[in-house]
Amino acid sequence: MSALAVVTAHSTIVLPHIRYLAILPEIVMLGGAVLLLGIASLVRRPLRVTVSTVGTIVIAGTSLGLALWQWADISSHGPYTAIDHAVVVDGFSVLITITVACAMILSALVGDGYLRREGVDGCEFHVLAMVSATGAMFMGEANDLIIVFLGLEIMSIALYVLAAMNHRRAASGEAALKYFVLGGFSSAVFIYGVALTYGATGTTNLTQIADFLSHNVIASNGVLLAGLSLLLVGFLFKVAAVPFHMWTPDVYQGAPSPVTGFMAAVAKAGGFAALLRVFVSSFGTLQSDWRPILYAVAVITLLFGAGVALVQRDVKRVLAYSSINHAGFVLLGVEAATAQGVSASLYYLFTYTFMTIGAFAVVTLLGRRGDGHHDIASYRGLAGRQPLLALAFAVLLLAQAGAPFTTGFLAKFQVVDASVNAGSVPLAVIAMVSAAIAAFFYLRIGLIMYTPVAGKGFLPGIEPLDDDEANAGPSGESETDGTGDAAPAELSAGNGQRPVWSGTEGAVVVRTQLNAELLLDTAPGEVQVLDPSEDIVEADAVDDETAAESAAEDTAKVPVPALAALAIGLCVAVTVVFGVIPAPLIDFAHKATLLFIP
Amino acid sequence: MLHVAFLIPLFPLVGFVVLLTFGRRLGNPLAGWIGTIAVAGAFVATIITFAGLLGRPSNAREFTQSYFSWIPVGGLQVKWAVLVDPLSIFMCLFVTGVSMLIHLYSIGYMHEDRDYSKFFIYLNAFVFSMVLLVLANNLLVTFVGWEGVGVCSYWLVAFWFERDSAASAGKKAFMYNRIGDVGFLLAMFLIFSKVGSLNYLTIFSHTHLLGSATATAAVLLLFLAATGKSAQIPLFNWLPDAMEGPTPVSALIHAATMVTAGVYLLCRMNPILGLSSDGRWVIAIIGCATAFVAATIASSQHDIKKVLAFSTVSQIGYMVLAVGCGAYIAALFLMVCHAFYKGLLFLAAGSVIHGLEDEQELARMGALRKWLPWTFATFLVGWLAIAGIPPLAGFWSKGDVLANVYAKSFPLYVAGVITAFLTAYYMSRLFYLTFTGKARWQEAAGDQPAHHTPHESPWVMRIPLLVLAFCAFFGGVLDLPWTNRGLNNFLGPVFAGTLYHDNLSMTSQWVLLAIDGVIAVAGLAVAWVLWRVTASRPALTPAFLERVWYWDDFYDALIGRPGQAVARFSATVIDAKVIDGAVNGVASLVKSSSTGARRLQTGYVRNYALGIVLGLAAILVFMVSRTWWS
Amino acid sequence: MSGILTAAVHPTIPDLITFIVAGLMVLAGAVGVILSRNPVHSALSLVLTLFGIAVLFIAQQAEFLAAVQVIVYAGAIVVLFLFVIMFLGVDKRENIESDPLRGQRPLAVVLMVVVLAAVIALGVNAHWATGVHHLVGRTGTPASNTARLGRSVFTTYLFAFEATAGLLVIAVVGAVVLARRPPESTGEADLEESEALGTGSDADGELGDGSAAALPEAAAAADESAEGMAPAGSEPA
Repeated sequence: MSALAVVTAHSTIVLPHIRYLAILPEIVMLGGAVLLLGIASLVRRPLRVTVSTVGTIVIAGTSLGLALWQWADISSHGPYTAIDHAVVVDGFSVLITITVACAMILSALVGDGYLRREGVDGCEFHVLAMVSATGAMFMGEANDLIIVFLGLEIMSIALYVLAAMNHRRAASGEAALKYFVLGGFSSAVFIYGVALTYGATGTTNLTQIADFLSHNVIASNGVLLAGLSLLLVGFLFKVAAVPFHMWTPDVYQGAPSPVTGFMAAVAKAGGFAALLRVFVSSFGTLQSDWRPILYAVAVITLLFGAGVALVQRDVKRVLAYSSINHAGFVLLGVEAATAQGVSASLYYLFTYTFMTIGAFAVVTLLGRRGDGHHDIASYRGLAGRQPLLALAFAVLLLAQAGAPFTTGFLAKFQVVDASVNAGSVPLAVIAMVSAAIAAFFYLRIGLIMYTPVAGKGFLPGIEPLDDDEANAGPSGESETDGTGDAAPAELSAGNGQRPVWSGTEGAVVVRTQLNAELLLDTAPGEVQVLDPSEDIVEADAVDDETAAESAAEDTAKVPVPALAALAIGLCVAVTVVFGVIPAPLIDFAHKATLLFIP
Repeated sequence: MLHVAFLIPLFPLVGFVVLLTFGRRLGNPLAGWIGTIAVAGAFVATIITFAGLLGRPSNAREFTQSYFSWIPVGGLQVKWAVLVDPLSIFMCLFVTGVSMLIHLYSIGYMHEDRDYSKFFIYLNAFVFSMVLLVLANNLLVTFVGWEGVGVCSYWLVAFWFERDSAASAGKKAFMYNRIGDVGFLLAMFLIFSKVGSLNYLTIFSHTHLLGSATATAAVLLLFLAATGKSAQIPLFNWLPDAMEGPTPVSALIHAATMVTAGVYLLCRMNPILGLSSDGRWVIAIIGCATAFVAATIASSQHDIKKVLAFSTVSQIGYMVLAVGCGAYIAALFLMVCHAFYKGLLFLAAGSVIHGLEDEQELARMGALRKWLPWTFATFLVGWLAIAGIPPLAGFWSKGDVLANVYAKSFPLYVAGVITAFLTAYYMSRLFYLTFTGKARWQEAAGDQPAHHTPHESPWVMRIPLLVLAFCAFFGGVLDLPWTNRGLNNFLGPVFAGTLYHDNLSMTSQWVLLAIDGVIAVAGLAVAWVLWRVTASRPALTPAFLERVWYWDDFYDALIGRPGQAVARFSATVIDAKVIDGAVNGVASLVKSSSTGARRLQTGYVRNYALGIVLGLAAILVFMVSRTWWS
Repeated sequence: MSGILTAAVHPTIPDLITFIVAGLMVLAGAVGVILSRNPVHSALSLVLTLFGIAVLFIAQQAEFLAAVQVIVYAGAIVVLFLFVIMFLGVDKRENIESDPLRGQRPLAVVLMVVVLAAVIALGVNAHWATGVHHLVGRTGTPASNTARLGRSVFTTYLFAFEATAGLLVIAVVGAVVLARRPPESTGEADLEESEALGTGSDADGELGDGSAAALPEAAAAADESAEGMAPAGSEPA
């Protein structure tokens, strides 16, 4: 840096020492992707899905194994930086690597069935996903803003393309393009932030930034604050915090469902990893400047995500808003800016990965061929048709709602606890309120799944609850109570669904009817819309025949491929087992913070 | 040898999982045998652990075995660990032992039931929870077991849920227990907030952190928990209703084991109890009152199981009384003896009910001595034991309690002696009405036809009866007053410093014992005179006693009706006007805001980008304002 | 480093003039890109911007970067843009008149001004750790400028340099995946079906009131938003 040490053109370049173990998981992931691509382009016919899936699982599994090796290495030898301090290997980065590798494996399992169903050959899905995962891993272990940016771009560009994977759905391409344009915009903001930060501190290296800030008290640090703000916007866009979230519902809905699950998990993991590292460790001395911002963002994210999810009728959109709500919760941990907050956020990210990929795996299956059946009404009576699938989905949704004895509860508990300990009590209260609101829409999906389809009376398929699931015993039975065979419309409308969304008191009857309508999946044309509210359009625009057809299709069983079932099973198992026995994971996240070197 | 302690909960857990997975396929009777073997395994593991414990010097008989950390959140560090000490292993011994016998009995008793395997699933789950409750080294895991036994009890009481009475009895048991659980939770929070740990040993070594007022509050809250689980005033009347469950359940859960969990909890927390003299007085008085009230009620019941149920309430009242006096070992002595003879009485009653094809009315029994000889003989032992006839177990254990109470407070002692008389009286009444007199079951009563000739139970049901009869007869040797008091020596270290010593001379002890014996014989004699021939004496079974001192009616008037009125009020006024209004208000708020949000969510990229810029501008303006102010 | 912080040197007059002129070029070009009705004009305006940046690089004594800027961006990339525009047809006009959000444009202008003002307000009078001219004049020849860039790339930013490879891989793969036509064998029926079901992406249908009505609305909205996407250049010929 010193200007006097002028380097002559003839001196030799001393390459920095490269410690390969530091980046081995990424090398394997990226190299594996390129290898798979190479094999695919050498063989004459499109690569079979099985080959890609197996290849991906092997590669991601190896990457996971190497990450565990790194964990063992740093546990005994301590964390270190490598390649001229460009990357850092500590518990934090290894946990993110593990999270991303797990997400990759699960998504490959889910994607396999999806690709077969949609008749897509070739390895592009897997290759793109692996490259994207590599990007997220880079973000986790970056120790330089340039690396953060590269990781962000590698991850995002792959996600843009993945979102457009389904050629046969216009929405897919549209979603990808929206994501791309807005993503490009946010990247521009981010890189401007990097430039200003460099301008203010003279370095892009995170450790050196931290050093600079701790050794220099800058009287007027406007440039730094401007850079920090721009960086923050870039991150908040990636993690879908309000008001930078608006792409989320459209993209989540439009992208192929397995991609959505992957995106939700990996983009959040990568985005939050970099956000945590950059802000909590490098800009830690400027806490008083950025914490209020995150405070405000967390508040609106929590409330907005939970509130708007309530009025969605497309399950993927519900989950999109729910992911926004989750982002708000993780922000709680970031806002706390303490070791406890970091640990809680990491725990949240890790467990959320399983909850969300599992949920989207179920959504993928229920989307049926064409990936288009995501209306909440098509989930009706799922418990009768496929009790195990419904049960798994219910568990994953409950976990996201924060039900006790799931990891979701512990995740929420920890971030709230961290927030309280950091003195942000009102924020914690708002978070709990939003969790209460959010619980409603998770429960609503669950309720709809466990309500039998109209006209079929009491479904025999619901009975399995009484035997093997004896532990679900009395509670399980209550769900089928009351939905007898006579006049199920009135019953279930009166039973579970109060007309919560009624606008004015006068129209309650109509709304009850409409709720029944929604629940019962009858043809919409039959409803007399009595309320002249401007939002209600006459419903007979939809062809009755189409509605009937789709209704018939909705009540058919969906095939559950073995690999997808395995993925869902794994997600449920992790969610429940570590919910009942929380210690190992909490310790893991806790240690990840201890090894964190600022 | 101590390291097999983990097998004690593991065996029933494995049994539970196996039965849950394969129960229906294993079928009848294999599922029952597997359940029994699982509990027998736990019993054997307990014996081995017990032997290991005896091998240690008496002041080193306490060790904690940790398996894994369960909840490491902030200051709350909870581990799955067992605390093996004389108290927990003593409880485990009789819990697993009696459970094993009752499992065996159930193989015969339930053999015609449709949900045979389900019954054993619940039973094994119960034993697991109970053992967990007893062995836990901290309050939270104890609470898990506490809730576990509560849930199993609920399932088992409502086992025949097709019967409305069974279903509502299950709910009643559950509700009453929930009230108690609130006490447990609050006590737990209170202790944690003061001590910062839920670990028993940590709490006990930091009792100085609890002020006397806090200690009293904690004791009363713990006692509230105990009144729920152990059916004491004011939460006692779920237990008689719980007799709707199958008889082995009544024997196992509602006589021998679960209902004593409250007493166990109080004994376990003895260092806290030791801090609050006021709290102990409350416990003693409530225990004494419960013992007396339940005994009066038991004297006038017409259902064989109801009599035994109130008798159980009364006997637990004795235990609670003993705990209140600080005589923990006497309470535990009575607890184990009670487990023997009350388990025996329930099983024998079950044998009677079984033999008469589900007849429970005393008025429809009589003279069964001839037809059910084994049942008769074993019931005889149980009867004499609970009545307090020397030298059976009940005589010594009750005598021990009464001696301690005598030394503590004379009025309580008098009430205890009257209760002892009543006990001998109502048990004799039960016995005479069942086994002597006329064979009333041969007559048709009202619209009910006469019963067939009763049949004796199969051997799987008789063996447990015999074993329990043996224990009920000789149980007293555990702690005979003139010996070196084995139980006292064994349990002593657990209660070091908190145990009440009556310091009675040998003479006064013998006098007290003689009084007990005389009272018991008097009870027998009075009942003999009154009930030998006649089966109905309305004057002696007044409605007041028959209707449980109008206790349920009192609750109905105090809570039920106002509750209904409140419910009606809330349905018509609050719900319709306030809630619906609020819901509609919130709904319209959500609707309008969602409409707003929907307007924003246009689908146009340029609008979305505007959102980003809006956020960016807000953040930057905030930053500018900060730099200007600073 | 602290030396640099304290030694703030004011720029000379020629430097200032160069900066202002180049800056105006950059801004004029940028405004031209977004305001031109004709895409070809937009592309050419972009060239102006890129040239302006090259001039700024020279003013910063970064001759190598300036050259690269001109050769790669102004030369290769803009030419590529022009090819694509010509290939797709120059006379495509997009309808950006319809505005679902009232006040979008004025608001955008206001926010732009606010953001710009805020960044300037923060940047002015703030301490910069970089960007200070050296006291003793040039530190080396243009050649050493290149060498130092190379050195930087192979030492401090070695990992970043290598990671860029990943970025390029994903860019190529992504382009291929997107450009490839879906296999003909799979029927068109699915497409129609999924469209008929109205899986439009901005169907923020309201649950209660709008539940029965949301389907047609969604379909309509999907159409709308396809239109809305257009400014981003989604419409193929």
